[in-house]
Amino acid sequence: MPETPALHISNLSFTYPGAPEPVVRVNALSLAPGEQILLAGTSGRGKSTLLQLIAGLLELAPPTGSGSIEVGGTNLHTLSSARRDLHRGSTIGMIFQTFNLLAGFSALENVMAAMMFSKIPKREHRDRALSLLKSLGLERVQAAPDELSVGQQQRVAVARALACDPVLVLADEPTASLDPENAVIAMDLIQSACRERNAALLCTSHDPRTAERFARRASLDELAASHTLTTSGGH
Amino acid sequence: MARTHLTDLTIVARSMRVRLFSTATTILMVGVAVALMLTLLALRDATRNAFSRGTGNMHLLISADSSPMVSVLNGVFYANPPARPIEWPKFQQLARSAPWQFFIPVQQGDSYQGYPVLTSTPDFFTAFEPNDQEPWTFAEGRAFDKAFEIVLGSTVARASGLRIGDTIYLTHGIAGSRQLSTQSDAAAPHVHTDFKYTIVGILRPTGSAHDRALFSDLDSTWIIHAHDRRARESAESDATTIDDLTDADRKITGVFARLATRPGSNVTAILPATAARLRADPSITVADPGSEIKRLFAIVSNIDQVFIAMAVVVIISSGISITLALYNSMEQRRRQIAVLRVLGSSRFRILRLVLIESALLGILGCILGLAVSFVGGQAGAATLKAQLGIFLDPTLPLGPTIEVLGGTTVLAMLAGLIPAIMAYRTPVAKNLKPIA
Repeated sequence: MPETPALHISNLSFTYPGAPEPVVRVNALSLAPGEQILLAGTSGRGKSTLLQLIAGLLELAPPTGSGSIEVGGTNLHTLSSARRDLHRGSTIGMIFQTFNLLAGFSALENVMAAMMFSKIPKREHRDRALSLLKSLGLERVQAAPDELSVGQQQRVAVARALACDPVLVLADEPTASLDPENAVIAMDLIQSACRERNAALLCTSHDPRTAERFARRASLDELAASHTLTTSGGH
Repeated sequence: MARTHLTDLTIVARSMRVRLFSTATTILMVGVAVALMLTLLALRDATRNAFSRGTGNMHLLISADSSPMVSVLNGVFYANPPARPIEWPKFQQLARSAPWQFFIPVQQGDSYQGYPVLTSTPDFFTAFEPNDQEPWTFAEGRAFDKAFEIVLGSTVARASGLRIGDTIYLTHGIAGSRQLSTQSDAAAPHVHTDFKYTIVGILRPTGSAHDRALFSDLDSTWIIHAHDRRARESAESDATTIDDLTDADRKITGVFARLATRPGSNVTAILPATAARLRADPSITVADPGSEIKRLFAIVSNIDQVFIAMAVVVIISSGISITLALYNSMEQRRRQIAVLRVLGSSRFRILRLVLIESALLGILGCILGLAVSFVGGQAGAATLKAQLGIFLDPTLPLGPTIEVLGGTTVLAMLAGLIPAIMAYRTPVAKNLKPIA
């Protein structure tokens, strides 16, 4: 029996209301569990929009959207709003350029917050978050985000994205606000953490050095053109 | 012990902590509004209670005043000395007119340092109770049992510093000022310097107007005024005794009356009929103190309602302040909402979080208001009691207090509705973008 892909997109088209043509078009894209792909391209080409469509944060419905996006075998866009939110929390982890850590929460609480909306037993939340942060090398778990260095904040963001054992991690320009040295450290962290947990990784970046780290790379134009993109370019 | 998981309340608490100044000022505003409302309600009830005290176990107050209301204000609350007396034969006739449990003559007219003196018979201390089921109790000494003995109300004792065994002279009429005066000041008002009273008792506080009065026997006051009469009639009058009294000297200004009832029978059945029969006599005024106090409150309740309405407006203003505080914080919290949505929170849960926060602001404001009104009420009552001798029970009325606290919490939740809907509609994708 074939393994359920972490992500499967087919015939996707999305146009912002009022825009003359689709900002995102993906004929086919499939990502196996643990697989990692880089989505390259300059700013404003629709990379973030694709990530938001995958996460179910943008509505994919006629007349502006069409096609299918399945995460872990479930098409988020056929679920009710509340079930989609729940499914997103359980199956998708997101890492942002500016981390988007919750102000007023400690590093530990930021990770625990990710489990609030999942089916993970409540009594396990703290221990899981602690273990995850420790495994990513963060000791100051009670510190507030603004008390942590950029690198430490990145670790918290990664831990939060992985807290619910997602099948897919979406990383939107995770190194854009980091210096080259920290960018390398961050990508090492993200890629290895996803690999260890068998989570597929879809990362967007316009940084060539980040792109070089991925065996699979694609641009939105390539995704629009290809019939079945399972491998493309790369090393 | 560390929490094993986060709850909605944790998120709300963190959100409030991040905007600490805004949170604190909003809670303060709600607290002040709630405290104002509770204090007004407590004050209203306390004032009613204070006015309800003093009539005690009497059923009727009979006087020759112009109206039942004036009769109660003068006879129970010492507003003014009653202007018109009841002659002794009339008193004796009235005493035979119904089966009274007690029928106690009282007389006002003299004072000590501005405090009224009520003269009566020993029944005043044994049969009449200043508050129903609360008989008189003495802090020191005893009741008067012979002429020219006097008992001090608790406020008079405290204000004057007089002790058991001290002697005083009474002043004819009520002096306007209650400033303590020495005996040498006796020039202006007429002081009965020929008759010295000895203090034999000091009463415990009753929480009624009686605390601001002195109590002596009727015979003494009749003797004093008979002496004045005799002095006017003859320049060389000798010492006046009870044997010198005429019926004309024996005047009273009121009667505290209670009907006798058999065990188990209800006085409300016979009281109106007795009162109506007595009212047929045009020379007297018959007051049912309970009814008169109710009438008094019916008059002043309009003022109450104005104050309560003002407090309601202040509470509504505090609700608006909750709306503003949450509305103004929306810009700051849009990113937090977007992140929570990414983590799996539904729109409805976001709406619920904002409503919980607004309700929490209301609840914390209620707790603050409750504490302030409780402490303020206790302090205010203590000050009033210490400085003016007015006894106000600062206990917050349970029913209205629950209504105010519940109403404020509901109002707070309603105040959060607009910001909650804004939060519900917050677009996630737009608010996850890096800040430029």
